[in-house]
Amino acid sequence: MTILTFTIILLLGAYCAGLLGSLTGLGGGVVVIPLLTLVFGVDFHYAVGGALVASIATSSGSGSAYVKEGITNIRLGMFLEIATTIGAVAGAVVAVWLNNSTIAVIYGFVLLLTAVMQQVRKQDHEGTRGSDMARRLKLFGTWPQKDGSLKAYELRHVGGGFAVMLVAGLLSGILGIGSGVLKVIAMDGIMKVPFKVSTTTSNFMMGVTACASAVVYIQRGNIVPGIACPVLVGVLFGALTGARLLKRLDVRLLRRLFCLAILLVAFNMIYDGFAGKF
Amino acid sequence: MSAPKNDLQQLIGNTLRWGVTVACLITLVGGAIYLFKHGAEPMPNYTAFSYDNAADHPDYYTTLHGIVQGVLSMRASSWIQLGVVALILTPILRVVLSLADFIRLRDWLYVAITAIVLAIILCNSFQLF
Repeated sequence: MTILTFTIILLLGAYCAGLLGSLTGLGGGVVVIPLLTLVFGVDFHYAVGGALVASIATSSGSGSAYVKEGITNIRLGMFLEIATTIGAVAGAVVAVWLNNSTIAVIYGFVLLLTAVMQQVRKQDHEGTRGSDMARRLKLFGTWPQKDGSLKAYELRHVGGGFAVMLVAGLLSGILGIGSGVLKVIAMDGIMKVPFKVSTTTSNFMMGVTACASAVVYIQRGNIVPGIACPVLVGVLFGALTGARLLKRLDVRLLRRLFCLAILLVAFNMIYDGFAGKF
Repeated sequence: MSAPKNDLQQLIGNTLRWGVTVACLITLVGGAIYLFKHGAEPMPNYTAFSYDNAADHPDYYTTLHGIVQGVLSMRASSWIQLGVVALILTPILRVVLSLADFIRLRDWLYVAITAIVLAIILCNSFQLF
């Protein structure tokens, strides 16, 4: 295969990754890893570098739209980023000692969790009484309703959310993905943040978290130009298309199909990982 | 309370958009040179990564100094890496802007929180310089 062919195929694949990542809210990195490792046989340590680029591109590409609508809770995001960036740096350090098969198995289990969490009903947690800690940290906020009014929300269990965010950061440092699933578990499941706020805030945090490990990865040479170029451009345009389509499309069927695809890839990764095929 | 917050959010939204646009343009320049010069060559071997010699890759750099030198001599790989650096800088710039805005709001608790986040990222970037 020539460099030209490889670049074009990867560019198209990355476009789809960005599109799917933004439509399903999972980020581009999730699709980029199997694309590189299973389709092209790329070493996981290169693939993670590519996934990081994809995660930052999706976060910044689709994040700008959400921030403008005022749904994202910037204080909440910033506070939890302390946890995710510490985790991400630790993950990037740990990744050096992990072989391909171990990374594949970890990735597979994160995908499984993602598929399971996609089935859980999303809640707005109306009437949650906030904790004192959350009040002192000024984490309460408002979010716009369909009729244009603002609705106030409170949240709780700041410590628990922070702890899960450390794990989320660690996983994104090892895998290069946004680990949005753990972020949403922390915010939606533990801290009782309204679902829409937790998804957008998670997306908002993904870029900064990925940066914390990307600075480590770029120094080690894991982010190789021949892969980063098509991934960056493809994912970015894919995410922009996705953000535009999301306003018009009903993506429930797509999300269900994507969930099946995730399960297949997850089992493939876990099986091949344990069999030591990577 | 709500008006300054909106300013902050607008500014951050614009920063993200401009950052990714610039990163994308630089990467496209690099990609064009890369394909023009090397497009017909066989695909490099990405099937095995070794940390032992990662610091001295023959075809790309791992320091900002090296990347800038390469950009000046129109090396395709360096242009692409500059694009990646611009992409990485975008969310970091976002954190810096938030820091400035929290200072303006005299929200010292969040000035401290934002400074911690920034410090964690910068502490780990030193080898780049």
